[in-house]
Amino acid sequence: MTGLRVSTRRLVHIYRSEGHEVAALSGVDLDVAAGELVGLLGPSGAGKSTLLSLLAGVFRASAGKVHVGDLELSAATPRELDRMRAQDVSLMLQGAGRNLLPYGTPHDNVRFAQRAARRAGKDLPGPGDVLEQLGLGADAHRPLDELTPGHLQLAALAVAMASRPGLLLADEPTSQLDHAARDRVLSAIAETCRELGTTVVIVTHDPDVAAFLPRTITIRDGRVGGEGRSGEEYAVVTPDGFLPLPGHVRDELAPGTLVRFHTTGEGAGYLLVPEDGPDE
Amino acid sequence: MSVRYRPFQALALAALAALVTACAVFAPLYDRAMQQALTDITVERADPDSVALQVSTGSDSLFSNAKPENLVALVSPAMRDSYLDPVLGYRATAEVLPGQPNDPLGDLVWRDGECDHVAFVRGDCPAAPGDIAVSTADADNFGLRVGRRLTIRPASGDVGSRLRVTGIYEGAQGDDYWLGLALTGRSGLADPGLLSQVQHDVWLTDRSTFEGSRVPVMPEQAATVGLPLDATALGVDDLMSLASGIEELAAAGTAPTAPFTVEVHSGLPDIAADVRDQTDQSRVTVPLLMAQLGLLALVVLWLTLLAVTEQRRPEVALARLRGRGRRGARSLLAGELLPVALGGVLPGVTIALVGTALARTVALPGHAPFESGLRLLVAVGIAVAALVLLTVLAITRVAREPVETLLRRVPPRRGSWMLGTGDALVVAGAGSLVVVFATGGLDGPVALAAPGLIAVVVGLVLAHLTTPLAAVTGRGMLRRGKVRAAVSLLDAARSPATRRVVAIVTLASALAVFSADAFVIGQRNRAAASEQQAGARLVADVEAGHLAAVRDALAEVDPDGRDATPVVRIRPPGVGSVETVAVVPDDFRRIALFPGGAPPAGTWRLLDVPDVDPLEITGTQLALTVAGSSLAATRADGQPGPLSLGVDLVTAAGETLHTTLGSLDRPVDRERLVVPTYCRDGCFVSAIWLHTLPGASITGSATLRDLRGDAPASIGPADQWTPVDDDAQGRMAPGSTKPRQLSVAVQTDGASEIRMPQVWLPVRAPALLTGGLPPAASGRQFDLSALDGTVQRAEEVQALDRVPGTGPRAALVNLDLVERGVALATSARIEIWFAEDDPGLLAKVTSALEERGASISTTSTLTETRRTFDDSAAAWSIQLAAVVGAAAVLLALLVLLVGAASSWRSRTRDLAALRMSGVPRRDIGSMAVASQLPAVVVGVIAGTATGVYGAHLALPTVPLFAGEPAVSTLDLSTAWPAVALAVVASTAVLGGGSALIGRVLARRAAVRRLREGDL
Repeated sequence: MTGLRVSTRRLVHIYRSEGHEVAALSGVDLDVAAGELVGLLGPSGAGKSTLLSLLAGVFRASAGKVHVGDLELSAATPRELDRMRAQDVSLMLQGAGRNLLPYGTPHDNVRFAQRAARRAGKDLPGPGDVLEQLGLGADAHRPLDELTPGHLQLAALAVAMASRPGLLLADEPTSQLDHAARDRVLSAIAETCRELGTTVVIVTHDPDVAAFLPRTITIRDGRVGGEGRSGEEYAVVTPDGFLPLPGHVRDELAPGTLVRFHTTGEGAGYLLVPEDGPDE
Repeated sequence: MSVRYRPFQALALAALAALVTACAVFAPLYDRAMQQALTDITVERADPDSVALQVSTGSDSLFSNAKPENLVALVSPAMRDSYLDPVLGYRATAEVLPGQPNDPLGDLVWRDGECDHVAFVRGDCPAAPGDIAVSTADADNFGLRVGRRLTIRPASGDVGSRLRVTGIYEGAQGDDYWLGLALTGRSGLADPGLLSQVQHDVWLTDRSTFEGSRVPVMPEQAATVGLPLDATALGVDDLMSLASGIEELAAAGTAPTAPFTVEVHSGLPDIAADVRDQTDQSRVTVPLLMAQLGLLALVVLWLTLLAVTEQRRPEVALARLRGRGRRGARSLLAGELLPVALGGVLPGVTIALVGTALARTVALPGHAPFESGLRLLVAVGIAVAALVLLTVLAITRVAREPVETLLRRVPPRRGSWMLGTGDALVVAGAGSLVVVFATGGLDGPVALAAPGLIAVVVGLVLAHLTTPLAAVTGRGMLRRGKVRAAVSLLDAARSPATRRVVAIVTLASALAVFSADAFVIGQRNRAAASEQQAGARLVADVEAGHLAAVRDALAEVDPDGRDATPVVRIRPPGVGSVETVAVVPDDFRRIALFPGGAPPAGTWRLLDVPDVDPLEITGTQLALTVAGSSLAATRADGQPGPLSLGVDLVTAAGETLHTTLGSLDRPVDRERLVVPTYCRDGCFVSAIWLHTLPGASITGSATLRDLRGDAPASIGPADQWTPVDDDAQGRMAPGSTKPRQLSVAVQTDGASEIRMPQVWLPVRAPALLTGGLPPAASGRQFDLSALDGTVQRAEEVQALDRVPGTGPRAALVNLDLVERGVALATSARIEIWFAEDDPGLLAKVTSALEERGASISTTSTLTETRRTFDDSAAAWSIQLAAVVGAAAVLLALLVLLVGAASSWRSRTRDLAALRMSGVPRRDIGSMAVASQLPAVVVGVIAGTATGVYGAHLALPTVPLFAGEPAVSTLDLSTAWPAVALAVVASTAVLGGGSALIGRVLARRAAVRRLREGDL
């Protein structure tokens, strides 16, 4: 299975909280190429996990489109979504335990996760092989409460990768781990992405994790607030022409500040010139 | 594997399933065992001859030549299986010729094997045609010696049949072989028929007498067959099919197409009808109790399954996230929960079977066989269906939730004060049924669920009010700084288990209280009814006519009258007549059993005998001087009529001697009248009388003095005589202030006799009356039957609700008063009532009576009477209440356990967090206990109220007796001690259980729990 391409267009998600409608995402445009490893960054409540849930088909978009491979999720039937979750998309919930049947061993859990895909005729490696690939061969038949947090997270990753999905969506896969465990999980994810060609979208708060990822997308106030590639931070122009300011610039420009764009020489760049305020 | 992960929860769920199954299986098995026990004891207590099947050829088949074997063939093989080997026989009437009144007439009988069941004192068993064996009484009365020849009347023609006595037998009493045929006891007695012919006992003969040609057919000759019932193997189904078989046999035997008519005698159809009636009664009580327990069990199972499935929401979410869809999620839960639920079936069936076995051997009399069969299979099928249905419904409810909802840690809930649609529907439906029932608009089977329905309504409403109230109170306490109580209350308000606990504990406590109340009310009413029927703990019937002997014997054995008292009863014929019950009030009050308590002492004082002395004389002659007599009788035609003066003397034996002293046809200056009497042992002068011709009138006055027997007696002064002044007799007024003389002034008009009683004799007996005054009463005065069978005038001094040991209409009078001057009628029954069922005292009284020529004929005890009430389907059905009450509390305890098993991880984490915040361990313990205990307490209080009210509504529809007693002692008032016991038991089990769970959770609330993350 090769990775799946993911794209969203003007994606909006609204939910009700205590009688009020709250926009978790308000027009997100995102493109992730097949086999790409992408991180979703941003402060708490920015909408990262919501976006991940929309990509997994857990939430239905209030407006806009979500494409995973050839499937447009906002119009997909429950059966199509089940089939997608069985074979193509895997969601790793935050907290390793939430991804595992508490009464099963890692082996049981991988087998459990593979059942739907196997029924659909997908050719998959055995649970032992899946666990072996992630270095959990020795722990395959141990009860979960005997595993270290790092191994527990690897088990969760094994479960998520059990059906060899084209898209792995991981919500904070390294939270609550010490550095060694975190690095091990991250390298396992990266290796999986590389070897199997799986598209991986990771939500994280951890700057070290962000630094590890080749591409990061920052979600801020329900929009794409910027993108980082190979250590460089970029602002991203939205399809309707908005340009969110990078964080450090926004701190300097108070709301209401008038700015002008000047072209610098031959279109090589733009100069953003703030006007003096009326009081100044 | 999941079972191992949540072993306590699995165990609790399996236990619940076992309890549901046990309830479903136990009810029909117990019902069946009751029917079997009822059949057993009814048949066992019936006479063998009344349950046997006796078939004979009819009187119009005299010459049909039908043989006993032909009769046996009429009984189907299926019916034959329930009987022992048939006893073949013949019967005819043997009337010795020439048939004069002193020529004996009676039965001539052959029965197969008869000679093995009598003892021959002379001669042998008849073996040839015409040979007979006669009883010893016949041999004595009619001079029937061995070898004597007799001629008896044939059925037709003039030539008599010749019989020859070959043996003389002694009849055996109580031999079941004879199936009620009394061989002896009639010899020499006159036939009560028109001819008043003397009877002989049963003559036994040989079969050939009836079948050979030597003896012509005799009058009323019939072939017979008796089939003794094989009672040991008789079940209720056999009884019913036998009863209908017997009825069919009887109908077929009289059909015009039958080759010969057949008469069928058996008491089994009546017994079957009785069993059927009682079984119908149990169809009210058993569903009443079991339906509510079933309701509770299903509600508990449903709520438990909701808790269990809710706990598995993350696993369902995982299944859905891994693409297994709703179906896969359902299979995941079903794969875990169904085996656990069904795993309870086998233990449940075992519990029910053990329970039924215990019921059969301990609670129920008789020898009800162990039965499983179709009834068990159907019950198990229903239980399995209910378990599967509820489990699948609970699973489906969770599995169809959207993934996004499943992923939330706590399922979304509606506003705290609102009822959900389902709950609202249940409350509205059950509530309206309760309202309709409470207003009297509903009865029958639906009404039986009233207690359960009320509890459901109250429990659900209360459950929905409890959590917001707890939250409000908790917040208030928090503001006031009472942190510990506040945290407990807020924890209770937050926990979904609180509502569940309130609802279930309310329902379970209601059922426990209702069951305990019903159980004790049933017992109390049976006890009261048996006390009313028995009268006393032991009642002995004395052979009639020996009251003096009885009183004398009792005076010797029990001088204080504390342990035994005489009771004399006489009842005039006729439906609704008032029975006279003469008692010694003070003793009777202590000894008789008054359900609900005896009337107070003041009531009994009303029966007191006036404190006057009798006028007693002793000797063989009585003398009286008449002086200054102007008494004269005048006939209707104006001519002088005869006039005699006399006295009534009551002997020590109670006999009244109507003694004429002399004639007063003419005025007399002074005359000494002397007559012989039979008063050697002493007599009471009970009255002075004057007698003339009917239609004549008596006028005048006289002075009577110097009355004496062996010694002088005081005939005066006037106040020891009751003046007579009525229209029927006339007037007779006593005068005198001196003890030795009495003047009388008389005026009558047409009465042949005027009688002035001595005051010691009752004129109008005070009576405590039950059942109201008879229609002929005048004011409070009425006539009742005197102990001598004549009329006794009486006055109602107070009404009683009932008199123990009597029917609905009885008059309680003072025996010391009404026995004066009367000889007991033969219809009067003398009884001795004992304070205790004491065989030793009975033996003493029996022996004292025998010394005085009296004897006890029968005895009855309260225990026996109580047994007749207790051994009924009505009583056994209500015994189920004990099981139901216990099961209800057990079910509620299981809910607490399942709740704890389902939420212990989160609750221990919460408690661990409190420990992290510095709350001391001891406080954590009390907070853990306090978070659920209030819910249990609220449930128990609400359940108690609804249980009591439910019993008040439903119990009038419950049959407490097999048949309504003649005198109702029904008392359906709440049995408060039983209610209190049920409340204490519920509180102890549920409150204790809840507290224990809290303690255990608090002990497990170690800080390391906080590090366990999501596992």
